[in-house]
Amino acid sequence: MIGSGPNITAILIFVAFVAASLGITWWAAKRTHSTGDFYTAGGKITGMQNGFALAGDFMSAASFLGITGLIFIGGSDALLFVVGIVVSWAFILFAFADRMRNLGRYTFADVVAYRLQPERLRMLAAAGTLAVAIPYLIAQMVGAGSLIETLFGLPYFVAVLIVGGLMTIYVAFGGMLATTWVQVIKAVLLLAGVTALFVMAMAQFGFDIGAMFAKAAEVHPRGRLILQPGGLYDDPISVLSIALAFVCGTAGLPHILMRFFTVPDAATARRSIGYAVVFIGYFQALIVVVGFAAIALLVGQAEYVDESGRIAGAANMVSVYLARVVGGEIFYGLIAAVAFATILAVVAGILLSASAAVAHDLYAKVIRRGEISDQAEMIVSRAATVVLGAVTIGLSLWFRNINVGVLATIALAVAASVNFPVIFLALFWKNLTTRGAVAGGATGLIVVVVLIVLSPTVWVNALGNETAIYPYAYPTLFSVASAFFVTIVVSLTDRSDRASIDRAGYDAQVVRSELGGQI
Amino acid sequence: MGNEADILRDPEFRKMLVHRSRWRWGLSGGLIGVYLAYCLVGVYFADAFGRPFLGSSIPWGIALGYLIIALSVGLSMLYIRVVGRMLATPFGERGSGQ
Repeated sequence: MIGSGPNITAILIFVAFVAASLGITWWAAKRTHSTGDFYTAGGKITGMQNGFALAGDFMSAASFLGITGLIFIGGSDALLFVVGIVVSWAFILFAFADRMRNLGRYTFADVVAYRLQPERLRMLAAAGTLAVAIPYLIAQMVGAGSLIETLFGLPYFVAVLIVGGLMTIYVAFGGMLATTWVQVIKAVLLLAGVTALFVMAMAQFGFDIGAMFAKAAEVHPRGRLILQPGGLYDDPISVLSIALAFVCGTAGLPHILMRFFTVPDAATARRSIGYAVVFIGYFQALIVVVGFAAIALLVGQAEYVDESGRIAGAANMVSVYLARVVGGEIFYGLIAAVAFATILAVVAGILLSASAAVAHDLYAKVIRRGEISDQAEMIVSRAATVVLGAVTIGLSLWFRNINVGVLATIALAVAASVNFPVIFLALFWKNLTTRGAVAGGATGLIVVVVLIVLSPTVWVNALGNETAIYPYAYPTLFSVASAFFVTIVVSLTDRSDRASIDRAGYDAQVVRSELGGQI
Repeated sequence: MGNEADILRDPEFRKMLVHRSRWRWGLSGGLIGVYLAYCLVGVYFADAFGRPFLGSSIPWGIALGYLIIALSVGLSMLYIRVVGRMLATPFGERGSGQ
């Protein structure tokens, strides 16, 4: 652990955040009476609140801690991620915002099941949701456990229990209303924290950004090469795979899509994503500077970086170390607490989407075929939250040494290759049929898992083979393409009775998706 | 409101559909195209991306990345304005009815 003993500022701010969030949960629990309240806060969230919450849902520890760590190692290559994230949010606004809001109610499964055979599509959507949510949750919790161990000196299992326990309490009692407000507070804290970090780091260079880049290039072991791309990914297939993972994957993340349904109408949905694009664009622009400033200020300081350029603890500790260098112990504690709050809020959003998939899509709509009272579904969704929370805590304790990067890759790749193609084609392609959607979704899932197992991170690093059969880090170029290809071919050759019902339903869907309301 | 078939045949509705999809796919295709071009230029002309941008010490790759971020934000604002105005027709959106 860096520093002398646990950081008091970090603990105080974190305890204040937990107290405030539990207060909000208690307040929200008294206002959560129906499944509509539980899954979507009754559709009463305003555009700006939802904009902050969307940004909060998305700006995870991966973007705050992971991207700065990536810049520290690979320099400019991180721009690929940073720019892709903002582009993907604008794309979600143009292509998805109106139609999703007008067609859906609680989960994105409502949208894909609108004209296709509902039970089969809901099973597919629930599988796609859980295949994103569970790896993502484990990745965040394992990351949080190690982070807290470094920052606060708490044992790993205690840290995982705290994060897992709190997220389960927020969701099980406070539902979407509590989750949204926790998300809003966290987004404000994170934006303020990164702004302060940016200003204090730039003050070290007299606010001359050029001088900062020059210093970073001077001290980094790779020299001026960190200012140009190619340090981590230098072939077009890897680069396009990453680009596709971000553009399509963000648009297929279930906890993000679920937020469309928390606002009253399509116009508010558009406005809320407009706010989110501004917040996320601002955040990404600052994080690049923070990453390079970390190179300029941390390299050569033996306490944080050893001679070979390795960072004490882990690469994703760069932002918090930078805070200590530019702002001392108090600021270090503040940024550490913000990082912890970030993880806590993100896992709550993901857990809620997973619970909705199990309780609403699988149990209420598939197993009970919609024959279930609102009160009974509420009980099931709370029970599902507790069970999923416990399972995630157990898996995070079990897989403590798992590679967090692989899990995050799986989550984003599944979102891009399973959820995105089916949503996109259901919304915009008349000829999509149930059989095509299911075949394409299954293909996407299988290709993702197979290519990740054959990729360098698993096949070489984890399984100890000589060379990787699939030499690229991300599977998305092939998995997204094959999911689209199989969906389209199977749909076009589908002559079943169900296929004609699926196609016939498109016109009514277009009217509803453009105009909203119940016609 | 009449049924879907009537609405779908209505010339005003058809006009709105065409108008909207032009904006939807024009902006999506344009922005994603710019981003993919940026990614590929970074692969094939990496050294050019490392050179200083217009006399500053900021590398070209990072400066262009910032411009694409600004473009994404600008186009999002434009889309929200244009689509909002487009709906001042008999076919304005209604609430979700929940």
